[in-house]
Amino acid sequence: MPVALRLATLAVAAVALLGTAASGYAQEPIRIGVLQPMTGPATKNGTENFTAMQIAREMINERGGVNGRKVEFLLADIPTPTAAISETERLTTKDGVKITLGSGVSLLAVPVSQAAERHGVFHWETAGAADIITKRGFKYTFQVGPAAYRYGHAAVDLTLGELAKRLGKSPSDLRIALLWENRAFGKSVGDSIRAYAKEKNIALVYDEGYDQFLTDMTPIVQRLKDVKPDVLIAISFPNDAILFQRKAKELDFNVGAMVGVSAGYSNPDLRDSIGDMVNGIFVSDFAARVNPKALTPETLKIADEFFKRYDDKMKRPPAGHASSAFSATWALFTEVFPKAKAFEPAELREIALKLDLPEGSLANGSGIKFTNNDWPTDPKDAGQNLRASIGVWQWQKTGNNQVFPPKLATTEPVMVPLPNWSQR
Amino acid sequence: MTTVGQLVFSGLLIGGIYALMSIGLTLIFGVLRIVNFAHGEFLMVAMYGAWAMTRYLGLNPYYSIVAIVPAMFLFGIVVHRLIVMPALDKPHLVVVFATMGLSILMQNVALMALSADLQDVPPILGGRSFTFGPFYAKPELLIGFAVAVACTLGLRFMLQATYLGKAIRATVQDGEAAQLMGVPVPRIFLITFAAGSALVGLSACIMTPLFSVFPTVGLNFVLIAFVIVVLGGMGSIEGALLGGICIGIVQSLSSYYIAPAFGQMFFFMLFLLVMIFRPAGLLGRKGEATLGIND
Repeated sequence: MPVALRLATLAVAAVALLGTAASGYAQEPIRIGVLQPMTGPATKNGTENFTAMQIAREMINERGGVNGRKVEFLLADIPTPTAAISETERLTTKDGVKITLGSGVSLLAVPVSQAAERHGVFHWETAGAADIITKRGFKYTFQVGPAAYRYGHAAVDLTLGELAKRLGKSPSDLRIALLWENRAFGKSVGDSIRAYAKEKNIALVYDEGYDQFLTDMTPIVQRLKDVKPDVLIAISFPNDAILFQRKAKELDFNVGAMVGVSAGYSNPDLRDSIGDMVNGIFVSDFAARVNPKALTPETLKIADEFFKRYDDKMKRPPAGHASSAFSATWALFTEVFPKAKAFEPAELREIALKLDLPEGSLANGSGIKFTNNDWPTDPKDAGQNLRASIGVWQWQKTGNNQVFPPKLATTEPVMVPLPNWSQR
Repeated sequence: MTTVGQLVFSGLLIGGIYALMSIGLTLIFGVLRIVNFAHGEFLMVAMYGAWAMTRYLGLNPYYSIVAIVPAMFLFGIVVHRLIVMPALDKPHLVVVFATMGLSILMQNVALMALSADLQDVPPILGGRSFTFGPFYAKPELLIGFAVAVACTLGLRFMLQATYLGKAIRATVQDGEAAQLMGVPVPRIFLITFAAGSALVGLSACIMTPLFSVFPTVGLNFVLIAFVIVVLGGMGSIEGALLGGICIGIVQSLSSYYIAPAFGQMFFFMLFLLVMIFRPAGLLGRKGEATLGIND
């Protein structure tokens, strides 16, 4: 009996194996290498981005996949730039991946795209913003989120368009101060703001870089007190943003409006760190949740489903980078993949370059139109998405609400001018 | 005039904080003649401790001193026993690499266990400051400065007037002779290292309401601490206070009048000048770097 039983089991197993093999051949999954910092300093960005990408994958697979093929992720953890290179190489050479998706933050996106390009892999970048990503003439790297310089432009547009009016001044009379941390991101955004302001004939009353590791903000705040700006635009990291705000309160430095750019001021934990002092601060950042009217009806449905699923998993609404991760991944699944046959990088590149999606086509309000080496404004750029949405949201008592540009805004800006420290 | 006054005043107060976090380092150097490269990470661990007690027990961060200081004393004992003591009679580089390794280990464990997120405790008085005429100062800074001065005086009194202090000075002057006179030199080393750590614990409790806590926070301060220790005179307790204040004021004035990005450059220039013209440091005496703590 036991022998017969064993034989029967073997037979069943063999049939099952054959079955999976056969169906596997018919519907071989589309394998994508996902590179995210799941440990290390950028863990938070990495896990949030990956959650958003997973939601996109679940949604497409539940809908039957791409032309019947399921999507499969191979996740690689990239805590550091060195790991970013070695993991990208491992995925491409050992696992034979031809499509990569990533990569948490600019610092990691730069090496990931470098390694991917070297192996001729199609890289779809959702979060890396540094201008350099698309300035190296790469063929297969596509930066779906906004490039760094556009953060600066959004801050200036808000200042001249909305804040001037609310501060009762004409844009040319407005006293604008610019404070930037002097590393890669801060400097490139600072440069873009300076250039853009000059283009608009606006003179900055203060323009200064500082070291991120500065332990005392007194001299900076004191200098700002001397120039009495109406609007302060600051590009900071979390630690220095907190030190600055505390010192501003200590030395009673008051300003009509405060616009922060990304990392330091968009950090969701800022409210835990400095409490209600955060209210009223504007943040130029990836758009997280935009005005539903800015989206096409089909996109709105997809966006709502994403927000609901994200909230179920993470118990909080997505930050801008997570929204961007979802939007870009969803576009890859629904706009690029269905048109592909061989899923080879060269073919995917052709499809991507032909994409022409109007703004509002993706859940975060973006559209897609990539530059292709011959773009008139910057001939060296390749694969930068000119229709990536960027906007400004504001820390408000009710949460973080999109306030600019008017098309994407969900609420009006409040607390302009900012009340003096003694009144808040 | 008001601006200069404010800059000097703020520089003085922050200098007190810098001094406070350097006293432990100078004490350890003065007695054991070793540089603890994990000093910044000791500060980080203690700041996390102070933060956790405030966050989870709802204590005022200053009350956490009663727990953090003894805890850091014990931590100092453990580190001394496991890492420093075995390296003491080996070539000097061994201690350097041992403490540097410890520093990297502690940073990475903290990154894994606590993530890179910033943690903060709410400021006292809701972050408002006292005004003295036209000048502003946060109570946290005033308290920090007072503690730094009290610590310096207390430590000086301890070294001059107590048996332990005399034993420490005897150990520094001539370890072998002290041992022959019945001073338990290995234990003096242990106590000094632990006391140095405890002082780091104290400064962490003072600094937590002023600065965010994160795994690499030590890096922001450790360089300043090394400069202060050398500037003041290696092993000089009063020198650390004076060095801290000098750095605070130089940083404040140079950042304001020249550029904030160059603030560190100027205190390193000051440091170089002192090294050229007074190699033993402001309050150090010739040969003190090899002699140890002054009496």
